[in-house]
Amino acid sequence: MATSLRHATAVVAVGLCCTAPLDAQLASPRSVPATYAITNARLVPVSSPVIEKGTIVVRDGLIVAIGATVVVPGDARVIDGTGLTVYPGLIDAYGSLGVPNAPAAGGGGGGRGGGGGGAAAIASGGAAANSNYPAGLQPEVSVTTLLKSDDEAFSGPTSAGITTALTGTGSGIFQGQSAVINLAGADVNAMVVKAAVSQNIGFSPLRGGYPSSLMGVFAALRQQLLDAQHYRDVKVAYDKNPRGMQRPEFDPSLEALQPVLARTQPVILYASTQREIERALDLAKEFTLRPIIAGGGEAHLMAARLKAENVPVLLTLNFPRRTAAPSADADPDPIRVLKERVDAPKNAGRLAQAGVKFAFQSGGLSSWADFTANVQRAVDNGLSADAAVKALTLQSAEILGVSDRLGSLETGKIANLTITRGDLLDRGRVTQLFIDGKPVAVRTPAAGAGGGAATATGAWTVTVTLDGVDLATTMSLRQEGTRLLGSMQGSLGIAELQNGTIGTDGELRFTVTVTLKEGTEEATFIGTLDGNAVHGRMAIVGHSPGSFSGTRPQRAGGPPSGGAPRTPPGAR
Amino acid sequence: MRRLSTIRSFEDSMKKTIRLAATLMAAASVLSAQAKTVATGPGATLITNATVLTVTKGTLKNTDVLIQNGKIAQIGPHLVAPAGATVIDATGKFLMPGIIDPHTHLMSDAVNEGSLSVTSMVRIQDVLNPTAVNIYRELAGGVTTVTILHGSANTIGGQNATVKLKYGGSASDMLFPGAPPTLKFALGENVTRKNSSQIAMPGQTVARRYPASRMGQEEVLRDAFTRARDYKATIDEYKARVAKGEKNLVPPRRDLELEPLVEVLEGTRLARVHGYRADEMLMMLNLADDFGFKVKALEHGLEGYKIASEIAKHGADVTSFADSWSYKIEAYDAIPYNAAILMRHGVVTTLNSDSDERGRRLNIDAAKLMRYGGLTEDEALATITINGAKTLGVQDKVGSIEVGKDADLSLWNNHPLSVYANVDKTFIDGKEYFDRQKDIAQRDQKARERAELEKADANQAPANRRAVQPVLPQEER
Amino acid sequence: MRTNRIVGTAGILTMLAALPAAAQLGSFNPPPGPQKTFALTNARIVPVSGPEIASGTIVISAGRILAVGASVTVPAGAQVIDGTGLRVYPGMMDAGTSIGLSEIGQGANATVDVSEVGSFNPNAQAFFGLNPQSAHIGVARVVGITHVVSRPTGGILSGQAALLNLAGSTAPQMAVNRNLAMVIELPRSGFGGRGFGGFQAAQNASNTQDVNRTRTRQLDSLRALLKDAEAYGKTMDAYARDKTLPRPKQDVVLASLVPTVRGQMPVLMVADRATDIKEAVGFAEENKLRVIIVGGRDAWQITAFLKDHDVPVLITSVMDLPTREDDPYDVNYGAPAKLAQGGVRFAITSGDAGSEARNLPYTAGMAAAFGLSKDDALKSVTLWPAQIFGVADKFGTIEAGKIANLVITDGDLLEAKTNTKYLFIDGRLVPLDTKHTDLNDKFKDRP
Repeated sequence: MATSLRHATAVVAVGLCCTAPLDAQLASPRSVPATYAITNARLVPVSSPVIEKGTIVVRDGLIVAIGATVVVPGDARVIDGTGLTVYPGLIDAYGSLGVPNAPAAGGGGGGRGGGGGGAAAIASGGAAANSNYPAGLQPEVSVTTLLKSDDEAFSGPTSAGITTALTGTGSGIFQGQSAVINLAGADVNAMVVKAAVSQNIGFSPLRGGYPSSLMGVFAALRQQLLDAQHYRDVKVAYDKNPRGMQRPEFDPSLEALQPVLARTQPVILYASTQREIERALDLAKEFTLRPIIAGGGEAHLMAARLKAENVPVLLTLNFPRRTAAPSADADPDPIRVLKERVDAPKNAGRLAQAGVKFAFQSGGLSSWADFTANVQRAVDNGLSADAAVKALTLQSAEILGVSDRLGSLETGKIANLTITRGDLLDRGRVTQLFIDGKPVAVRTPAAGAGGGAATATGAWTVTVTLDGVDLATTMSLRQEGTRLLGSMQGSLGIAELQNGTIGTDGELRFTVTVTLKEGTEEATFIGTLDGNAVHGRMAIVGHSPGSFSGTRPQRAGGPPSGGAPRTPPGAR
Repeated sequence: MRRLSTIRSFEDSMKKTIRLAATLMAAASVLSAQAKTVATGPGATLITNATVLTVTKGTLKNTDVLIQNGKIAQIGPHLVAPAGATVIDATGKFLMPGIIDPHTHLMSDAVNEGSLSVTSMVRIQDVLNPTAVNIYRELAGGVTTVTILHGSANTIGGQNATVKLKYGGSASDMLFPGAPPTLKFALGENVTRKNSSQIAMPGQTVARRYPASRMGQEEVLRDAFTRARDYKATIDEYKARVAKGEKNLVPPRRDLELEPLVEVLEGTRLARVHGYRADEMLMMLNLADDFGFKVKALEHGLEGYKIASEIAKHGADVTSFADSWSYKIEAYDAIPYNAAILMRHGVVTTLNSDSDERGRRLNIDAAKLMRYGGLTEDEALATITINGAKTLGVQDKVGSIEVGKDADLSLWNNHPLSVYANVDKTFIDGKEYFDRQKDIAQRDQKARERAELEKADANQAPANRRAVQPVLPQEER
Repeated sequence: MRTNRIVGTAGILTMLAALPAAAQLGSFNPPPGPQKTFALTNARIVPVSGPEIASGTIVISAGRILAVGASVTVPAGAQVIDGTGLRVYPGMMDAGTSIGLSEIGQGANATVDVSEVGSFNPNAQAFFGLNPQSAHIGVARVVGITHVVSRPTGGILSGQAALLNLAGSTAPQMAVNRNLAMVIELPRSGFGGRGFGGFQAAQNASNTQDVNRTRTRQLDSLRALLKDAEAYGKTMDAYARDKTLPRPKQDVVLASLVPTVRGQMPVLMVADRATDIKEAVGFAEENKLRVIIVGGRDAWQITAFLKDHDVPVLITSVMDLPTREDDPYDVNYGAPAKLAQGGVRFAITSGDAGSEARNLPYTAGMAAAFGLSKDDALKSVTLWPAQIFGVADKFGTIEAGKIANLVITDGDLLEAKTNTKYLFIDGRLVPLDTKHTDLNDKFKDRP
């Protein structure tokens, strides 16, 4: 008997909600039948043509049959898929899902409290015991040790149809080993689809020690990679003939870099602007690493090189948009900023055209509703719908090295399914997920589950007071997770923010090059964002401390980003 | 720090059994990056009937300059334009070499790695921002080559980058091919943090960094160069064993902190030393003598005039300000005669901007030296052209208008040492990077582009409220 | 108001106490010679008030210009200076500086006397903060800057600017008008808070609306203070006429504002952005103040407004980098030309606190390189600032009867390479020695 999907959802919801208490009461775990058949559905296998009306059968976590003429097995719980479309589970190809208190966008905050002092525990991310390196430069850290299964935190991504994610610690420079996880599981280890998928690298300096600047970050990365090469050479020599040779000290950090040097493990480098991408690629080339770029906001400007060097991109869906009506008191947004906003949705189409391989990632979106909405914007701006779906599924799996088990609807693959009413990219509604063959209900995301924290995005009028003089400047800020991006123009000159981070508590920090009467200097801003106000202190070498305070016009209302209704998609 | 000591003891333990890789690859990687510089091969350009300020070979009136393949091909009267050449009538105009600003923090995404006292491993080259709008503003002031220096927050800063301001290209396209690598050192108030603020996140404290006095600066330098000398010995030893045919040697650990210092000791990397007070600069010169290397240039060197003979004897150049002074205590004895006194003592002296603002008008700063100290026109021009080229080690390529040199030129509507002059065009490697008339012509186009972009969906405020169209301020009609 | 008054009074005491400390840095400015009779002969004279005189004579006596012309007789007993090959200009006026009030900005706070504590300090007088021995003074005057408007900064009512001749060993000797103008720095509209000068309230604003509310309160306080001063003046006048009235209590702070509220003393209002300039003008008109804008970076955008309201501008930003990313590269260089075209009265100033005030001539020259006529460039640092402050009867041109502030050069006054050969301030010959020439002399031939 076919049950309605609504009914099935109810069953599943009961199953999920009640398992734990029942477990506690019963002597043995429950044996819930785990065979499902979704019939009469539109099936999008991605790896093969769309089946307009067909059946997919899932058993014990795997896809066991798919096709137009599949016979429903007798033990299957049947779901009538009329009017539904089944996709492979969507993959969020970069981030820190499942890591409590982690930055929502990787590549963000430097390892806090790191620098010089050994491996003290840090507030976010994690620190390895017995490391020779400070937190933030510990490639041996595995995100799997930090994971928490958190229905609340997952309600956001799952509401967007995401079943799977690449997750990293999101903290530090060598951010450690990432993992591909499913966003459901009885325990954290069951969530892990594959561990040690990549070594993630961010370029934000540490706080309170070396390296404290972007150039220091590059030097530290280089030295550690060189040390890893040297460590390898010494160990080879020692293993060949230990007699008469002092035993090389074991170094877990340098051990962890061996797969990176051997190219068996890719590095995911967070790089957004053209020059950041260029720097990341140069570093990878210098050490013949296997690079993947994450972020890639300006990847389209680097398409030729990315293609030539066969470097995939994990493309952010956090498209910049104007968030509030411009203030009459602020200087107008530079053309560059206006153009960035217009170009962001064109990025994917341009990469596709150039033959660059890419996958989508949420990039610290403050609203999960924007995840598919922004894919749609990319489609409206030149990306084919097929390519878009592929970039959410199979291509993602390929880049992350898990296409043997994920990314398409094929027999034998993990039964991660995203089920929609209507086309996913035509404002279809995600109604149901299957993760590891088990149905997962789609719920309205809890507040704060997908960002929702204080966002700094907007145009700020800021007064900087230095040496008794007030200097007015307009800052165009953009927040991506814990990354704080933007530029400023005004009486301190014109420059882009560097190393910007912002915590969920509104604590922010960035450096920027300013031009004063005496010359061009680097200023460090540390402060607090509180609603529509910001204030704090500023330091410049050779000057006594300055202060800054600023405000922005109150929001016109609506969600912080991507809230404006978009133009209806054209006929495809 | 713990890491450093670990590595060092690790290194010691290896010494008896392993010896080192020979070549220092840092230098090699610089060269390979520079090799990528685009040779755009612009067509020939003939600039006719200009007053040519060659700087090294006097002033030539009513003279033509032919640019071919990015080089100055011919200089003389009545040159014939090759077929297809662009001809620029420069009647009444002045052609000078592109201005060289030997000390700036232009186009850099970071200025200081101030965490440690010795950060010779960091490289400005890694953090260049080729899109910085101030590059264009320098071009509009006739500047074509600059060295972007690490800041002065610590005794041994980082590796500087010498670039041509080829705005529009990538950072690697802009690196000056063949320019010798350099390293920044700093002395005085900024290093000792006498009036620098240290701010921390709430709940954090900032530890005081060594050194806090000019005594400690000397110690930091001596310690670093001593370690570098040991490092060099380790490497030399390894090379010798390889040369003797020993097999299966593991090269010693490469130390990115000490490699540049070894290069300074060997003379392949130029030391650029920020100093204001005479005493601290003299300390540095003497320390360099002790270790057997030359300080290539004293940066700012505001009290250089007090020890001009000593600087000349050592052979250091000075990149100074024309007349900035009194902004802090160590600048109180700065005088605008500094450059002239140094030059009369035989010191190669240049002006630097240290500022994205001042960099746009170094021609006026040069003219000031005629007033303060009585430099000739050519001497004044030299302080912003050929002398800078010498300090940067690129005098064979730029800094004067001579056949065979790079066609890095600026064309002025008036004598560039006049305050009434502005730049008409700026060329680098024969390619035009600034044109005042074109700049003026495209201003309306920019306004239209803005208006068009403002209409886009992504530039609408939420709640679909039609934004008040912000426009760049226009003159009232 | 009570609090402010106390702060203001205490401020003056503090400044007085600070004077000797500032003087400890040295004594760099040789005193000028006596006011004798001088005759400058055979010189090319650029009077600014009229056409150049190719070769003429200027007679100076008792501090004033006695005669100027192509065929002026040299009086008996005059000290004759042969000006063959030289040019004579009226001395330049830097109307946008704080020279003498601050010696070393960083690391020597004891030498900084340019700002007072608190928001309302109408009686903080630059005159009392002035260090006549500031090395900046000698360095500025030898390029031909003979007189300046030096002003306090910070707070809302920063204090009173003084008109100073740049020669003299004491402040009274230098001051032409110690109470030249009141300085008001209105809080900028829409800009979040200020850390200095007492705007602590706005620092904790939670949004732009808060900032604007705080700003409104501050403006209200300022208005109230001005009204109080007006009433105070009226009461004092009434008592002077009629001693049968109750004797009013004296108030130093309110008294200092009376000339301002009566329109006798102009107000320098610091504003750069177009909206701020308009607001400053509106505030001034509402309160019947005689406004002069200092800053004026974006004044070129509102030339018609400024012309209509007949508001002059002391522009401080000619040499500044453009403040907006999309600004044309020459937006600030070209601003004076646009003001001139728009018929706005303006002067070009160095905009510098003191040490770099000597860049004034090159700043005017840069404006000339970008569209201002050379004649106007010269006027913008001589006659026009004098006119703006109503002292054109004393300064700004070479005309008989004016104060003999003259600079004699070997070339164009605004050119950087030009040398000053003689300098007259207040009819006194001023030695061209400075801290810089002293050090030059000391070290230039050191072997």
